Amino acid sequence: MAVIGVGRFIQQRQDFEDAIASSYRVEMAARVRLAEGAGGGAARAMVAAQANRRSELRDQISSDTRDTAILVAAGLIAGLTGALLLFSGLIASMRRPLEELVDAAGRLAGGDRSARVAVGGLSETATLGAAFNEMASELELEASQRDQLDRLKDEFVLTASHELRSPLTSVQGFAEILMLERDSLTPKQVETVEIILDNCRHLVRLLNDLLDLARSDAGRLAVTPRPTAVAPLIEDAVRTMRGQTESAEQLLSADVEPGLPLIDVEADRIRQILVNLITNAHEYSPIGASIEVTARVVDADVEIAVTDNGPGIPDTQLEHIFERFVRGDAGLTQRVGGTGLGLAISRSLVELHGGALAVESTVGIGSTFSFRLPVAGAPPAAGSSPAIAEAS
Amino acid sequence: MVKVLVADDSETILLLMRTRLELAGYEVETAVDGQEVTERLHEGEIGGLPDLLLLDAMMPRKSGIDALRELRAAGVDTPALIISAHQDAADANAPRDLEVNGYLTKPIDFDRLLGSIAELTR
Repeated sequence: MAVIGVGRFIQQRQDFEDAIASSYRVEMAARVRLAEGAGGGAARAMVAAQANRRSELRDQISSDTRDTAILVAAGLIAGLTGALLLFSGLIASMRRPLEELVDAAGRLAGGDRSARVAVGGLSETATLGAAFNEMASELELEASQRDQLDRLKDEFVLTASHELRSPLTSVQGFAEILMLERDSLTPKQVETVEIILDNCRHLVRLLNDLLDLARSDAGRLAVTPRPTAVAPLIEDAVRTMRGQTESAEQLLSADVEPGLPLIDVEADRIRQILVNLITNAHEYSPIGASIEVTARVVDADVEIAVTDNGPGIPDTQLEHIFERFVRGDAGLTQRVGGTGLGLAISRSLVELHGGALAVESTVGIGSTFSFRLPVAGAPPAAGSSPAIAEAS
Repeated sequence: MVKVLVADDSETILLLMRTRLELAGYEVETAVDGQEVTERLHEGEIGGLPDLLLLDAMMPRKSGIDALRELRAAGVDTPALIISAHQDAADANAPRDLEVNGYLTKPIDFDRLLGSIAELTR
């Protein structure tokens, strides 16, 4: 509209100038005739008429110019409004798909592998949406392949552990039968059979640990806590380990605070943790070392700790000892028969009981592994909630 | 003499069981799967019922669990111990209503096994 207005303005201006010029030419011709003495009254009337005509033309052009200016202004306003409407429409058409994309990306990051967007709108957002959907589909495919691999791995560990147990039962069983008749064996033969039996026990431990890890990875490692007395648990673990520590002339002792409350745990699993920790202390400490298991009340929990005066763990190794298949320094552990899985499993088991397995160690002084367990009948996670702490 | 019927699909395990249990003074019969156990008991092939059943939880053709369930349904109340390769299998396969006198895992703790047998056949 503004363009039409400007065009009209130029046309009007042209017409006006032509008309003024023609008026002057007519007047000039009349004046020539007057100067020549011809025309007389008629020529004078013509000169006056031309002056009037120009005055009218000037009025006309100023009125036309005003109209045209209004037209141009109106055109500009209409144009701006249109542009604004178009622009806001454009923004709206981009915004909805973008909001949808942000929402879907959030869901995808949160683990919803089926998150997709409707592809539409402007070509740019449609391209973006299609690219997002393609990426999400690939992620979903990868995740499902990973799940399948995990299932296969679990199945494999389970089957392998099952299939290995029968031959292991035979090896161990027949070696035990030989040992029943040890009186008729030479000392060398007795030693040989003992080595077979030691290695059988080691294999059993390895199989049990692998099974526990597979269960833990599959989220199937679970505990069934029951109110349990602390002292018999510790005595049981110490009794299990005494033979091995005595063979290394190590002093294994227990110091249980009298009057400890019952703890809410699965007894077998706590025994397993204790045997793991005592086994580590025994295997990494020199002949004649001391290993002490202690239990006491700390805050609202019972804290159990296994302390040795062995070589200690260097800081560089300390942060890795809970990782699976990580073992202490080889130089130190030539004779160590562990699986490298004990601490990883122990930590998972402690966490399943709501605690955390901690270690403190100083090279040349020794190491302490400790964990806290909930008292039976206490509200869950007592220590971490201020409201419950106030109430108690 | 106290008679024990052992079922396992491994010949070696059967030989081990026979050797160890005979050393401990038991009479031992063996079967290679649950199918053989039920057939022989039904047909009265074994001279008189055994005093104890020692069944592997997982065997081809018929598992120890299935064989025992069949025997219990037929009114056989002979004490039975189930041996499983690991606790998972025992948990997964052991129906709560089935009358089992104990579960043992492989590798077998023979002190425990002999203790259980002595108690159940007293």
